[in-house]
Amino acid sequence: MDIEYRMMNFEVLRERAMYKIILAIRYLLKRRIAYFAVLAVALCVFIVVIVMTVLTGLVTDFKQKNHSFVGDCVVGTESLVGFAYYEDFMKILERSDFVEEISPVIKSYALVSPVETERNVGVEIMGIDPVKHSQVTGFGQTLYYRKDDVSKAFEPAYEPNLAGCVIGIDLALQRDAKGRYPYGSGPTEMALSISCFPLTAKGALAKAGAGLVNTKTFYHSNNSESGLARVDGSMVYLPFEQAQLLCGMAGPVKRVNAIHIKFKPNMGLEAGCEEVDSLWQSFGREKADEKQAYLLEKVTVQSWKDYRRAFIAAMEKEQTMMTALFALVGITTVFIVFVVFYMIISHKSKDIGILKSIGVSNANIIKLFSGFAFLVGLLGSGVGVFAGWLFLLKINRIEDWLFARFEFQLWDRTIYAIGDIPNQVDAKVLAVIIFSAIVACWVGALVPSWQAAKQKPVETLQVTQL
Amino acid sequence: MLKLFLWLRYLRKKKIVFLSIAAVALSVALLIVVSSLFTGFINVFEQSAVETIGDVVLAPPIRFAKYRVLIERLEQTSAVDAATATLSAQGLLYLGQGNVRRVSVWGIEPGPREKVTGFKRSLLKQKESPESPGEPSFKVSGFPEGIGGFVGVGVVAAPDEKTDEYDFDAVEKMVGQQVVLITGTVIENSKQEGTGGAGGRLKKKTVPFRIADIVFTGVYYVDKTFIYLPIEEVQKTLYPNEDGQIADQIQIKLAGDVEADVAKAQIRGVWKVFADEQLGWGPYLIRETSVKTAKQMQSQYVAELRKQMGVLLLIFVVVSISVVVLIFCIFYMIVSIKQRDIAIIKSCGTASSSVALIFVGFGACVGIIGSGIGAALGYVITKNINTIEEWIRIIFGLKLWKSSVYMFSKIPSEVNWVWALVFVLLAIVAAAIGTLIPAIVAARTRPVEILRYE
Repeated sequence: MDIEYRMMNFEVLRERAMYKIILAIRYLLKRRIAYFAVLAVALCVFIVVIVMTVLTGLVTDFKQKNHSFVGDCVVGTESLVGFAYYEDFMKILERSDFVEEISPVIKSYALVSPVETERNVGVEIMGIDPVKHSQVTGFGQTLYYRKDDVSKAFEPAYEPNLAGCVIGIDLALQRDAKGRYPYGSGPTEMALSISCFPLTAKGALAKAGAGLVNTKTFYHSNNSESGLARVDGSMVYLPFEQAQLLCGMAGPVKRVNAIHIKFKPNMGLEAGCEEVDSLWQSFGREKADEKQAYLLEKVTVQSWKDYRRAFIAAMEKEQTMMTALFALVGITTVFIVFVVFYMIISHKSKDIGILKSIGVSNANIIKLFSGFAFLVGLLGSGVGVFAGWLFLLKINRIEDWLFARFEFQLWDRTIYAIGDIPNQVDAKVLAVIIFSAIVACWVGALVPSWQAAKQKPVETLQVTQL
Repeated sequence: MLKLFLWLRYLRKKKIVFLSIAAVALSVALLIVVSSLFTGFINVFEQSAVETIGDVVLAPPIRFAKYRVLIERLEQTSAVDAATATLSAQGLLYLGQGNVRRVSVWGIEPGPREKVTGFKRSLLKQKESPESPGEPSFKVSGFPEGIGGFVGVGVVAAPDEKTDEYDFDAVEKMVGQQVVLITGTVIENSKQEGTGGAGGRLKKKTVPFRIADIVFTGVYYVDKTFIYLPIEEVQKTLYPNEDGQIADQIQIKLAGDVEADVAKAQIRGVWKVFADEQLGWGPYLIRETSVKTAKQMQSQYVAELRKQMGVLLLIFVVVSISVVVLIFCIFYMIVSIKQRDIAIIKSCGTASSSVALIFVGFGACVGIIGSGIGAALGYVITKNINTIEEWIRIIFGLKLWKSSVYMFSKIPSEVNWVWALVFVLLAIVAAAIGTLIPAIVAARTRPVEILRYE
């Protein structure tokens, strides 16, 4: 009995819903003016899909490169003096169950002069253990030569006994129009004299009165291409111990500038950083009575996202600004839907009158036109997404053709460190665009639907109106 | 008269027309703002180059001596107003307490540089100080014998994370403070035995100096990177064994009305004679000397910016096509509703073309009004873009414009009237195009069918 009653109710509901679907489809097919609404939605969605896919691709790629460059978490200080007792803290991290790998890092500025030239270039230096650092970050993958044996990153192939250095690719080579670097078969035989200010734990010059700087000659052993323009254009990587010596951090109490950490796969980023922070706080308390404990006060624990916030935020803001601009432009689509619905409703007042005269409620009239708006939005965004997807599929070929024919590139690859134009459609972005298009159609249809619902059958079905 | 009457009537009676006006206004305003911001940025970028390095830069492939003779000769030509020499190097600057920066060093002559680039207006202390009238100076009060230097504001401080502004009071307190520069040059070359590689002795030089003033140009890269020392000090440090006045670049300000190409030809002529007579250089070195305007030196990046602006405008223009669709829909509706009006007009003898013109003209009117409002809106937004950005920061806590990302501390806010005019005209044409089909429908209306009694 209960099942029969439910079945009957279902049938009634189905029949009630049916006329809304039929009428919505009928209006869509029969009223050619509705095609213009579909066209406007499709055009807007087409452009937004392309722009957002490219922008999202750039931002995602940039974030991935930053993550790969930094690792998951950084315990470090901005001061070039660095902090002491890092070896003790590394032991604590090694004992913890959520840390997979750690890598101590020296960071400073240096003056680099290719020997037998008169050129001086100010660069950033990073002292690392190549094996450890490659386990924490993507450093090993950024190397061009001997990628399979990272331990030899600082061994010049032409003279393995010499102290080697890895040079950021943009310091060594220039990209061609396709964004490629003209690598040779091996690293160039080149000696670089690298000088920097060694600093005491108090931040003063360690060699006051004795030339002030430490200088050592390193030999070009490899190139690193991280894909981050600022890094590749200014970074020289040195062996950890050598960099520590150069910067005056290899005294009785050794110092580093940062410890980069990679978490185990099952450890979330935020939770991992909180754990490290907690360990660091208790470590700080433990070392509070040590001579150089004051250096620990300036040390912060940051996730890779916070550590590179200044760079990532700039790109995210551009994405936000573009989204806001397109939202403004999308208002026109709302207007078009409004006008189209206004026209259709003013032509279909008899239909509405008949529907209301047989008992259809105001809410159902609104639902009918909302369904119609939904169809317009869905169809328009479907067409727009399909066209956008097709265009994105060929976007790099189109750019190649434009470059071959007219020397036109979307980005000059000699200036920007961008490879192919990103064309991987993100399902989330797509869902947001389609949803926004449908909502825009609903908003556009809202007032006309309300006006339709307010129509009185007694007026619209008067014989003088028929 | 009839057309005007009908246009006003439709505008008054058909409120839906205001939607098309609003859409046109929105699109025109957006396009004007985007084009103005881009062109403003490009103009400021080019202008900042002129204010940093002068109108024209003469850069030989190697450094050269006797630059004062060259400057004298250049200033005697009709094309050159003033010229100044620079000697550049790279270095590390120790500012104290673990604070080291990498810097570009320019050896300059402050007086001539003021004539070429108006350098003094960038100096925080000296620009308005009654104690330092006339040319800018490296003198540090209280230290008459010591070396003084100018340091970019971004070298000694960082802009506030939220407001992107420097704390100038704190920065000015650094004037008079001693800092140390290391730079260096090769003074002796030799093969290192047993290494198989090249070797040499690179002499590092340290230059302690006091900060005589802080440079704030508003160009992030320049403020963050450059320090300025007396050219003779840089020469003494880098090339102690070389005689004469050494420079590696001459920066030139052109006379007011001279054309850049004419000036460049004159400068090259003077350089050729000077290099031949005074330096004894061969044709290769003379030919390899670059004589470029500041704008030419930025041309690759500017071309890229212009291209990006073009792509962005193209995208917005394509999206703005929907405005044409909107106008079409609205006018189609008006024509459908006003069939009887049209029939009456036609029955009075009005030609079909005149009927069509009523609607095309009305569309153009919509375009004129919409683009007029859009131009006004675009002007207001562009002119107040810095205030708007500041309000966005205050309300949403989102700092959209940062000098570290976009080079300049202020958003350029000059309206580009050429582009504005282009968009206004395009909008009027687009509005008229949107009305074409409805106008044809109206023109083809047959009074005999519409005005039948039944």
